[in-house]
Amino acid sequence: MNTTVIFFLVLYYLIVLGIGYWALRNGGSDDLEGYLLGGRKIGPATTALTLQTTSMSGFMFLGAGSLGYLQGYWALWFAAGDVGGGVLNFSVIGRRMRKLSQLLGALTAIEYLEKRYPSTTLRIISGSLTIFLLGFYVLAQFIAGGKGMALVTGIPYPVALAIAVSIIVLYTFMGGYLAVAYTDFFQSLIMLVGVLWIFIAILYELGGFSSANNMIHALDPSLLSVWGKGMGFEGQWGVVAGAIMIFSVGYLGWPHVVTRHMAMKCPSTARKAGAWATLWNLFFVPTPYLIGIFTILIIPDISDPEMAIFQVAGKLLPAAATGLVMAAIMAAIMSTADSLLLQTGTIAARDLYERFVNPKASERQMVMVSRGLVMVIACVGYFIALVEPPSVFNVVIFATSVLGSAFLPAYVCAVWWKKANTPGALASIIVGASTAFLWEFLEITSLTTIAPMVAGVFSSTLTMILVSLLTQKNYPVPSGILKLMEESAKIRPIPKNTIPDSKSTLSNEAIEIENFLRSE
Amino acid sequence: MFGLPIETNILVFGVPIFWIIYTFVFLFLSRKWPEEFNDKDHS
Repeated sequence: MNTTVIFFLVLYYLIVLGIGYWALRNGGSDDLEGYLLGGRKIGPATTALTLQTTSMSGFMFLGAGSLGYLQGYWALWFAAGDVGGGVLNFSVIGRRMRKLSQLLGALTAIEYLEKRYPSTTLRIISGSLTIFLLGFYVLAQFIAGGKGMALVTGIPYPVALAIAVSIIVLYTFMGGYLAVAYTDFFQSLIMLVGVLWIFIAILYELGGFSSANNMIHALDPSLLSVWGKGMGFEGQWGVVAGAIMIFSVGYLGWPHVVTRHMAMKCPSTARKAGAWATLWNLFFVPTPYLIGIFTILIIPDISDPEMAIFQVAGKLLPAAATGLVMAAIMAAIMSTADSLLLQTGTIAARDLYERFVNPKASERQMVMVSRGLVMVIACVGYFIALVEPPSVFNVVIFATSVLGSAFLPAYVCAVWWKKANTPGALASIIVGASTAFLWEFLEITSLTTIAPMVAGVFSSTLTMILVSLLTQKNYPVPSGILKLMEESAKIRPIPKNTIPDSKSTLSNEAIEIENFLRSE
Repeated sequence: MFGLPIETNILVFGVPIFWIIYTFVFLFLSRKWPEEFNDKDHS
């Protein structure tokens, strides 16, 4: 076991816990809005980087590296959309969603949907679907953490997995959006330094970028093409479109990501946040894919390609740097896992349990439901990851495709289309999720060369338009919501008389939590 | 360039340039957003 690597990992955990503790003591839990949305006071840089690190996850160190290692430059199609995913999100829905969510008095991304498209059915379906998919997504983070820790420290995989899951769960229990946002900011810097360090070491080893490409060309010229190894994806534009969409427009439909808009300091924060997102993405996003490609030259016989970045880091970097890189990888995993688990727990407690099961739930019961679900996900995830771990790449692509397909039209139309009504949103969510799920499950991509994301988004968007128009007469959008949409489009502060009394929009249980937190 | 085919160069360098331009256009079109704080009629 490498003590230097362990030292850096422990140091990293202590710093993250320290930042989280500081955030909690500085307003992170003053009231319910403080706990769930950081009091809606997050600035542009932190907003941008928490959105990006939450989106990136352990996928960037395992899935991206693996894809580059197996398919060469074809993998960069995923990066092509990902570089602009942040600015696209902030420019399309950021400002309006921030304003509308406050006008509606919504504190979670699912509650926001229910208040924009008034329907309890929509909240149940959206909440359940999100919990299921985010649970899957968390599974990928567990596997990534366990595999990485086992390789770098030499601990057996079952033990490493148990340690990784325990750390992620304990860290999440620290709780609070503000703590998550500030630790994400720190972790984004660690991630950036980590990947750039490995990449520079690789270029130094191979004699530069052009030299490395020439060596790849000598090995297999198809790896330099945009169509994958052996030109296996040649002309498959449906697959390419899916690769671009999943991490660009796909972000617009991820509940755990769009929550970031709701927590911004003010609606116009979206402007600078978009610029910060692009700046960070330009340096971070393509790098893991490129590292995967060039690892072919340095370690040509990796049995598990998802370990490419770990192995090349261990081979080229000194122990101290490997420790930092391992910390970066854990940062990517934890920054996503904590957000996913916080969202999952919040949705279970506030959007389902408090809303439908026990409207008079006490604060203690709410916390127990939230933490109970996190523990269930952790236990189930541990055993799946232990018995038959699927590839991180497959799990992430599945969960994000279905999430994006289900919710993209609902979130975009919520602020942009006044005719988007409840039946339209409900049908869109069901059809989008079902299409992407079946497309993936029945492997229709191999028959049609169209990615699940493309099929899912197309079907959910079409459904939203058709059903909303057809049911407009019987189910018009309530006039009160139309007024709030008009206000959210205006560039001005929210007029005082349109801000809802938060108490009237919160159920008894939420008020109870708020009172409890204030009394602390 | 860099030992890569033209279309790969476009993917590696052209697409990021597109997003940089997109970001600048967004910043230009949203240049009046910060003025929401200057509206004295509202809180």
